[in-house]
Amino acid sequence: MMGLTVTIGSLLFSQSVWAADYSKLTIPVIKYRGGDYRPRPEAVRSLMAQLARRTSIEVNREPIEIKLTDPELYRYPFIYLAGSAGFEPFSPPELRTLRHYLGYGGFLLIDDNSSKIHSEFDASVRNLISKLFPKIPLQKISRDHSIFRSFYLINRAAGRVLLNPFLEGISIKGRTVLAYSTNDLGGAWAKNKLGHWNYDIVAGSSTQRQASIRLGVNIVMYSLTLDYKKDMVHLPIILERLRRYHSK
Amino acid sequence: MNFLIELFGPGLAEYNEWNIQWGPDNIQVIIAVLGVSVPLALWFFWTSLARISSLPRKVFLFGLRVFTFLLLGLLLLQPQLELKKSHSQKNSIVVLLDNSKSMSIKTFPTEEKRMDRVHQTLQANKDYFAGLKNKFNVDTYFVSDQMEPASQVDEPFPARMPNTDYGKVFSALKSNYENKPLAGVFLFTDGADLTHSAGEPSRELVENLAGFKSPIHTFQAGTNESFKDLSIQSLSAPDFGFVHQPVSLTVSLNASAMGNKNIPLVLKEGKKILISKVVEIREGQGDYQVDLQFTPRDLGKKVYSLSVPLFAGESIATNNQRDFQVKVIRDRTRILHLNGRPSWDSRYLREVLVSNPKVDLLSFFILRTLSDDVAAPTSELSLIPFPSNLLFNDYLNSFDMVIFQNFRFESFIDKKLLSNIKTYVQGGGAFLMIGGELSFQGGGYDRTPIEDILPVTMQKALKNYSNEEFKPVVGQKLKHHPILRLEKQEVSNQKIWESLPLLNGLNLGLTAKPKSHVLFGYKMKESLTPVLVTIKTGKGRTAVLATDSSWNWNFRRVGEGGSGRYYEKFWNNVIDWITNTPETRLLRLETDKERYKEGEEVLIRFNVLNEDYTPASGEKLNLTLIKVSGENEKHLLESDQNGDSTFQFLADREGFYSAEIELDRNGETLSDKISFGVSGETAEFDKPLVNASLLKNIAEITGGKYLVLDEAKDLSGYRFENPEVLVQTKRKMFSLWDNWWSYGLLVGFLMVDWWARRKSGLS
Repeated sequence: MMGLTVTIGSLLFSQSVWAADYSKLTIPVIKYRGGDYRPRPEAVRSLMAQLARRTSIEVNREPIEIKLTDPELYRYPFIYLAGSAGFEPFSPPELRTLRHYLGYGGFLLIDDNSSKIHSEFDASVRNLISKLFPKIPLQKISRDHSIFRSFYLINRAAGRVLLNPFLEGISIKGRTVLAYSTNDLGGAWAKNKLGHWNYDIVAGSSTQRQASIRLGVNIVMYSLTLDYKKDMVHLPIILERLRRYHSK
Repeated sequence: MNFLIELFGPGLAEYNEWNIQWGPDNIQVIIAVLGVSVPLALWFFWTSLARISSLPRKVFLFGLRVFTFLLLGLLLLQPQLELKKSHSQKNSIVVLLDNSKSMSIKTFPTEEKRMDRVHQTLQANKDYFAGLKNKFNVDTYFVSDQMEPASQVDEPFPARMPNTDYGKVFSALKSNYENKPLAGVFLFTDGADLTHSAGEPSRELVENLAGFKSPIHTFQAGTNESFKDLSIQSLSAPDFGFVHQPVSLTVSLNASAMGNKNIPLVLKEGKKILISKVVEIREGQGDYQVDLQFTPRDLGKKVYSLSVPLFAGESIATNNQRDFQVKVIRDRTRILHLNGRPSWDSRYLREVLVSNPKVDLLSFFILRTLSDDVAAPTSELSLIPFPSNLLFNDYLNSFDMVIFQNFRFESFIDKKLLSNIKTYVQGGGAFLMIGGELSFQGGGYDRTPIEDILPVTMQKALKNYSNEEFKPVVGQKLKHHPILRLEKQEVSNQKIWESLPLLNGLNLGLTAKPKSHVLFGYKMKESLTPVLVTIKTGKGRTAVLATDSSWNWNFRRVGEGGSGRYYEKFWNNVIDWITNTPETRLLRLETDKERYKEGEEVLIRFNVLNEDYTPASGEKLNLTLIKVSGENEKHLLESDQNGDSTFQFLADREGFYSAEIELDRNGETLSDKISFGVSGETAEFDKPLVNASLLKNIAEITGGKYLVLDEAKDLSGYRFENPEVLVQTKRKMFSLWDNWWSYGLLVGFLMVDWWARRKSGLS
């Protein structure tokens, strides 16, 4: 019997063409018109490496780029939209697709890599979100949100720069579907293939970079587990650790 | 009368009375008019005869006119001859014997039942009643809240009726004897009329009694002296309870003349004591309220028994125990969901479980392994230790279902604890393994107790897991399986399965065990690699889904223009089947009601399905009905084309019944069992005291006498008036005016009058 099964297994693999492993986490970068959709080319790969190193999440490290109109979009429930300059407004079909994608289970992380307050990218993002969810304003994500406790216990938002000590987000039916960072998270994550950081932390130390990586891990972990850390079984320990953590 | 017989013929011989009846209603007016007008007319007539010199002729003519007027008057008064047949009738005496349940209560110090007192009195006065029967009609009835003739009272009669209401009894008595002469009534009772809490009779009863012209003599059976009783007066228990959740009971106890003692209040299920609580009974305090809580451990209709001890000399034995039924259901299905790593598959399944209001979810994600470098002290992590001992040693049985999703047990669960999962499933639990690299062989489950309970065996392959995309193929033999039922209509259901997005990620090296069901698989050439497989293991059920990509049926389907509805439905079906909800069973037994009343018809119904979940027609099943008495009745039933059959019987006794149905199929026995309660009325024991005041009042209002039957009393002093009563049985009427001879006589008189007047020279 053992031999027969081995044969079946071999047959399956000898016949199969390469198949993408959709069970593993893949974070596609959204391609859009205008501006620069990949100002930190190594950001996603570096975040994936950190996820693989620090957590049990299985990842596909190779980043892929995808358009919102791509029919493969729904194979990836987490997408990353980054930029450092203003971009063209999304077309109505793109807006419709993105709204549908987020409303039915997808998650979007937007990262402003411009390192400027009120940047052109920021204006484009806010314009996009106002069209995407006209009735739901972008709001600060509170400190007791699961994003700040899904893996690491985090006090505030971080990034390569600290323009805003918070994340903003959109929640639909209790689920946060969009998180927006203005602090250049990708810049803090990006590492070259030799293992060196691609960008220096602005007016901060390595602690700030670590906080940025932790925030990235938490955001991904939240998208995969949602409010798991608010289950009653976790609360006593988490609250006790938070109490001690904040008292330091 | 003989004259009439001679006049009207021998047909009148059967009548023994006659009478003249006058017709018009205004007879007095007619007589008055005739009384004035006839003499006046005669006076005028006499004066008109002045020209006739012959006195005899004048007298003759005057006489003729007098007869004519008399005859006319007679016609106006419309006389009729009434012939009657009548005979004398005996007066009735009614004996009313209370046969309500309270008559079975003992009275002290002799400890005789109340009804025994009555019986003794009747026996002691046999001659008296026999003497009464010579002069009267003596009718005996049992009474409660109704009257029924008592044909035989020589033997002690059963006190079985659930209610006493004198108002209804006296109304029925009045109605029955409306046309019969009633000389008097004997009422033998304890006076415990449930409609009267105080001694004073109600206004309705007083009005009712006032209509009786004969005396009602009341005889009080028993007394309240030394009434000793400990009773469960009332019990407040829910009809439904939730498994593993406390059920609260509120019990009211009543103690009368019990002295000072501590008594145990015990709750049992069958012979097993669930809970016991000591109640301090103190002299001078009658009522006690006790709150109890117990936790049902099994699903189904459960019969519980609550009791206090029966002490020597208690008046009522039956109220020391009270049985009740609770339908134990799941409030929510408790699911333990272990995820080996965060993934889209686990995230979307968790969303389904969390959003299902019927699910109580405890989930754990292994967020890091020992080899992961979190680069932070534990105090800066939100991670908690995995409580494997608590989950798999202490609380495993509190879960209805355990899911291992892409979970490798090593490092988290001691291998020894896997045998606890096997025991849990064999005892009725549910276990589901969902695929991924860390499942099956990848999780090290081959040759462990987990492999024993799963529907598949695991063999090492070159690779245990493939990323290949595949289309699940539903096994046609099992297309009616409840897990696969995404739409009610078969055609629609098939279309849905064909339209679901492809899956990717498949665990290899799995072989379906005998007796397992491969619901869908991956078709490679002619063989079907198992993907979704189920099996029954011991009393429990297990299933495997050898892929970690079922989330494609949610998010990818949304991207294709559909919704996640069928993904949700699929998982809810899996939960329903694996937790053995009644709707997913092959054999189901049910009753048409939760509870029945004594004397009600009980309908038991079963439904049987084939192994492929199609209706099993023509199956012969054994139904065993276990009655209150413990007596077993066996019936052989056959299913119809829908797999249904019914059985009816009369629940003639209060208490709890159970029915069990069995089917032997291919060496396996399918069975189902239900219990149901049949309730009798216990109100008679809720107000058990003798009501002497009410009996005195009844006797006083009707002119009767009241007597306490503290021993067999002599009733010979009770005398009744016995006037002769004639009863008319036949009647006939003859008209004395509306016939040919009365009109002929009138015409004859007038003609003779006319002829005589002409002869006398008058016009």
